[in-house]
Amino acid sequence: MNPLLRDILVWLVKAGVVYGGLLGVAAGMTLAERKVSAWMQYRHGPNRVGPWGLLQPIADGVKFIFKESLTPDGANRWLFRFAPAIAAVPAMMTVAVIPFGPAVPLPDSWGVPAAFTNLSVTDLDIGLMYLLAIGGLSIYGVILGGWASNSKFSLLGGLRASAQMISYELTLILTILAVVALSGSLSLRGVVEAQPDFWEWNVFHQPLAFVLFSIAAFAETNRHPFDFAECEPELVSGFHTEYSSMRFALFALGEYCAMVVMASLWTTLFLGGYKVPFWENAPWFVCVAAFCAKTSLFLFLYLWVRWTLPRFRFDQLMHLGWKVFLPLALVNLFLTGAAVSYGVDLW
Amino acid sequence: MAEVSFYALAALAVLFAMGVVLARSPMMSVLNLLGTFFCLATIYLLAGFQFIAAAQILVYGGAIMVLFLFVIMLLNLAELGVKAESGSGLFKGTGAKLGAAVAVATALALLITATADSLGRTAVRQRPEGIDDLEGIAAELFGRYGLPFEAISVLLLATMVAVVMLAKRQRRAGDSPAPTPSAPAKEQGR
Repeated sequence: MNPLLRDILVWLVKAGVVYGGLLGVAAGMTLAERKVSAWMQYRHGPNRVGPWGLLQPIADGVKFIFKESLTPDGANRWLFRFAPAIAAVPAMMTVAVIPFGPAVPLPDSWGVPAAFTNLSVTDLDIGLMYLLAIGGLSIYGVILGGWASNSKFSLLGGLRASAQMISYELTLILTILAVVALSGSLSLRGVVEAQPDFWEWNVFHQPLAFVLFSIAAFAETNRHPFDFAECEPELVSGFHTEYSSMRFALFALGEYCAMVVMASLWTTLFLGGYKVPFWENAPWFVCVAAFCAKTSLFLFLYLWVRWTLPRFRFDQLMHLGWKVFLPLALVNLFLTGAAVSYGVDLW
Repeated sequence: MAEVSFYALAALAVLFAMGVVLARSPMMSVLNLLGTFFCLATIYLLAGFQFIAAAQILVYGGAIMVLFLFVIMLLNLAELGVKAESGSGLFKGTGAKLGAAVAVATALALLITATADSLGRTAVRQRPEGIDDLEGIAAELFGRYGLPFEAISVLLLATMVAVVMLAKRQRRAGDSPAPTPSAPAKEQGR
C-alpha cells in the first residue's frame, strides 16, 4: 500500500468518526434533554422505546420523516426551504477543526513506514478564526427562516436572534482573544498544547474570560435562559413556528450540533482540551476519553441551566450584553495583553 | 486548476453583484451581497490568504450582513422595495436603472482591468513572503500602518457618533414641534 492511500484512508476514518460522533451525540442530546428534565422534575421521562427509552431519538426521527412538510401561504418558498439547511450545516462544518486527541502513532505495516496522525479532521493554523467565521453563519438559518415564514411570531423570533447574535458574538470573540493572547496561537491544537498541566489550564489563568465565555456560549447557541428566538410563552415557537417535519428536525439538529461544538470549544479553550490532569504523556485513548468527559460536563451544564433558571427578558439580555459583558471583556483583554507584552506572569 | 476556479469565482462574484442591484426585494439584495463576499473570500483562499478570507467571512458574513438583515426586517423594507419598483415617477425609475448600470459597468471594468493585468502570468498571484502568517500581518498593521489604522477607527467612530446625533435631532424635531427646555436634558441624561 502506498503512503498516499494510507493517508486518504486515515483521513476518511477520522472524518467518519467525527461526523458520526457529532450526529450521534446530537441525537443523544435530544434524549438526554428529556431524561435530565424528567430527573430534575421527579418524573420518569421517555422509557417506552427500547431499554430506558434509549431508542427514542430513532423513533423521533422516523416520526419526523413521515410527517407532512407544510409551507405556509405567502411564504418565500425558496428561502423557506433553504433556511433549515443553513441552520444545520455550519455546525457540522466547524467540528472539523476541533482537536479531540493528541498525535496517534500509525503502525509500520503493509510496507508503509510508521507515522503519526493528529486526532482531528484537520488542523488549521487559523482554526479559531475558521470556527468563529463559519459558526457565525448558522444564524442566517434562523433569520431567514423567521423572515420567509410570513408570520409575525417567526419574524420577531428572527429579529431577536439577529440582535442577540451580534451582541454576544462580540463578548465571545473578545474572551477568545484573551485566551489566544495567552497561548500565542490561533490554532486550536496550539491552544491545547499551551496548557499542558492541570494548573496551566486557562480556566485558572482567565477566570473572568471563562465566566463571560460561558454566558455568551448560551446566548450564541440560542439556549435557555437566552432562547429568545423561540421563547414559547411570547412567540409560540419563534422562528420555527411554521416549520414541520424534517425541516423542523434540521433546525433542532443544527441547534444540538452547535451545542456539541460549543461544548468542545469550551473544553479546548479553558479546560486543557484532551489533556489528562496530573498525567502527562497519557496514552491517546485516555486523552480522547478525557476530552469526551470534559465535553459531556459542559453539555450537561446546558441541560442543567435550562431546567433550573427562568428565562430573562429581552431588554435585560441586551443590557447585560452591551453594558456589562462587553466592557468586562474589553478590560480583561486589555489587562491580558498588557501582562503578556510586559512578560508579567500573574500566576 | 487555480486559474479556472479563479475565473469561475470572479464570474460568480459579478453575477451576485448584479443580483444586488437587480433584485426586487432588499432581502434578496442582501443575500446576493453575501454571495459576493463569499466568492471574494474564496478568491483570497485561492491566493493563499487564509486569515484575510476568514476575516472577510467573520466580519462581513457573520456580523455586518446580519446587521443589514436586522435593519431590513425591523423596517419591513420589502414593501418599500415594491413601491420603488412600480414608482410612478419616470425620472426616479430611470435614475435607479442608470445607477445600477453604472455600478455594473464599474464592477466589470474593474474586473477586466484586474484580469488583464494578471493575464500572461498566473491568474492568482502568489502572496508576498511573510504576509500570510499572523505575526507578519500584525507587524505591518500595527507597525508601518499603525497610524492610518488607528485613524480609520477614529474616523469610523466619529461617523457613528455623527449619525446617531443626526438621527436623534431628526427624531426630536419630528416628535415635538416646540421642544421644551427639559426635553434635551432628559435625552442627554439617558
